[in-house]
Amino acid sequence: MVRFITRRLGQLVIVFAGLVVVAFLMSVILPGDPGRAAAGRNATVAQVAEARHRLGLDRPLLMQFGHYAARILHGDLGTSVFTHQSVLSDIRQVLPSSVELVVAGMIINLVIAVPLGVLAAYRRGRPADVVARLFVLVGAAMPAFWLGLMLQLIFADQLKILPLSGQLSFGVDVRRITGATTLDALLEGNFPAFGDALKHLILPAIALSASFIAVVARTVRSSMITALDSDYIVLARATGAKEWRVVVRHGLRNALVPASTILGMQLGWMLGATVLVESTFNRTGLGAYMVTGVLQNDLYAVIGSILTIGVVFLLANFAVDLIQLWLNPRLRPRRRTSAVPLVTSPAPAGGVS
Amino acid sequence: MTGRSEVLLEVDGLVQRYPGTRNAAVDDVSFQIRIGETLGLVGESGCGKSTTARCIAGLTRPTGGTVRLGTRDVLSASRSALKSLRRDMQMVFQDPYSSLNPRMTVADLVGEGLLVHGLRPERRARRDRVVELLDMVGLPASSLERRPRSFSGGQRQRIAIARALAVEPRLLICDEPVSSLDVSVQAQVLNLFKKLRTQLGLSMLFIAHDLAVVRYLCDQVAVMQSGRIVEIGSRDQVYGAPRHHYTRELLAAVPVPDPPVERERMRTFRISEEST
Repeated sequence: MVRFITRRLGQLVIVFAGLVVVAFLMSVILPGDPGRAAAGRNATVAQVAEARHRLGLDRPLLMQFGHYAARILHGDLGTSVFTHQSVLSDIRQVLPSSVELVVAGMIINLVIAVPLGVLAAYRRGRPADVVARLFVLVGAAMPAFWLGLMLQLIFADQLKILPLSGQLSFGVDVRRITGATTLDALLEGNFPAFGDALKHLILPAIALSASFIAVVARTVRSSMITALDSDYIVLARATGAKEWRVVVRHGLRNALVPASTILGMQLGWMLGATVLVESTFNRTGLGAYMVTGVLQNDLYAVIGSILTIGVVFLLANFAVDLIQLWLNPRLRPRRRTSAVPLVTSPAPAGGVS
Repeated sequence: MTGRSEVLLEVDGLVQRYPGTRNAAVDDVSFQIRIGETLGLVGESGCGKSTTARCIAGLTRPTGGTVRLGTRDVLSASRSALKSLRRDMQMVFQDPYSSLNPRMTVADLVGEGLLVHGLRPERRARRDRVVELLDMVGLPASSLERRPRSFSGGQRQRIAIARALAVEPRLLICDEPVSSLDVSVQAQVLNLFKKLRTQLGLSMLFIAHDLAVVRYLCDQVAVMQSGRIVEIGSRDQVYGAPRHHYTRELLAAVPVPDPPVERERMRTFRISEEST
């Protein structure tokens, strides 16, 4: 157990190092001169050179990388040209709102994709299967921003049941505690504001999750088909267990492991996908911050956001590894069971699994 | 065990035909099992033995025929009737590696029947009963919290047997329960079956392709070939004086572990084959 976790942590460090290298290379290769951006639009050539020297841009690449890596390890992601604040504090401001959106998207993803996948597997080849697969495919085929616009058009403009954009209605105010509006409203005990924030969250979360649902639903479907075809399912039925128990207790628990791997990766992808959704729905968040950063040629803001997304991605996958350990006892290191005296069989208890 | 005792299982004219195939997988199969009796169903792989077992257990719906357990019709049973029927007949599968859910503990696996049939609603009582069952099949109570992967094939099959016996079934359907085990372990498990049958007064439908196994355990033997029962009778009758040539072929195919005897045997078999 400890060995497993240390190994995974080691992998985490290696991948993070790779991420830092890639982010650094991006800052070198991408067009746009950070020195020019830092010195300002109307700076003279001498001022730009001065800024380049100040930023260390005139030193050899390897040295630049050393400084850059050291800064990152100290939590310094650079200063945003646009907000004139440290990128880290900027990200700290906007990230909770994105996490809120991702969590909402993930919940919708799970609540729709898993039951659909199970249903499709259970009724495979029947109309329910076809309809379920078509439904998720259509969701996946629509670009998030376009789906966002359509949702706005239908539910906000035409039906007027959900708000168009933003995070809170005009006149509703929540004190900032964590930065995630719904959570702040709850912490404040302001339930009307919580409801309002939740309403603002629904459409963006749907738009965000649509393309992710298909992947999870298909994974659940295929691993569920494998599970449902196995002998232990037939035996559970022969024992007299109800279909619900057969499908959920015996089937789904075995089928969830591949899906949980996908879900961990999706958590990171979703954070990246907020770029498209947050602008459409005019929400604050990492995605919107990144879009602004790109538009303003604000290199450090963009790289900082990318690093953040990368770190979230890594941590999410680490968490998934731990969850899988719990879901799938077979992954756990073996207990030495042959020490237990077995009454009848002299053979060692090591099974083949 | 033979004679006029009451019929427990009656299979009559069972037919299972799969779409797109010319021959039926199970073709007009009929037999009876009396209370306390063990019927061995033998035949080569693919001859329809397992399909027959699954039809009887209500796991697949046959194309035609009837299956009766006591006075109750299995095939036309409603959902709730089928559930109570399943309490009376339990199954043991061939492969103990795939027939036990890898994610459940032995306590949950063996206790599942008790749970779903509401036989021991309290956790503690269920646990006690599981320990009792494990003891019956020769496994220690320390197995409770372990999962199937930490057991050998023979031990897993014991778990599967304990699971089947948990609900006190009247009929045990065993689909090649020892054919995936080592020979020495086979013997242990067969002895266990023999012991349990006497101890619990079980009736059994025992499917195997190994004639020696069936001879050891069964009172009645039915020989199946291409979906049909070609010969059925008491053990002594089928093994002593086989009437159908396929039965004779099967018997002749069993090797004798003594080369000179085996050579002699093969020679006489060939001669007898040519004369028929």
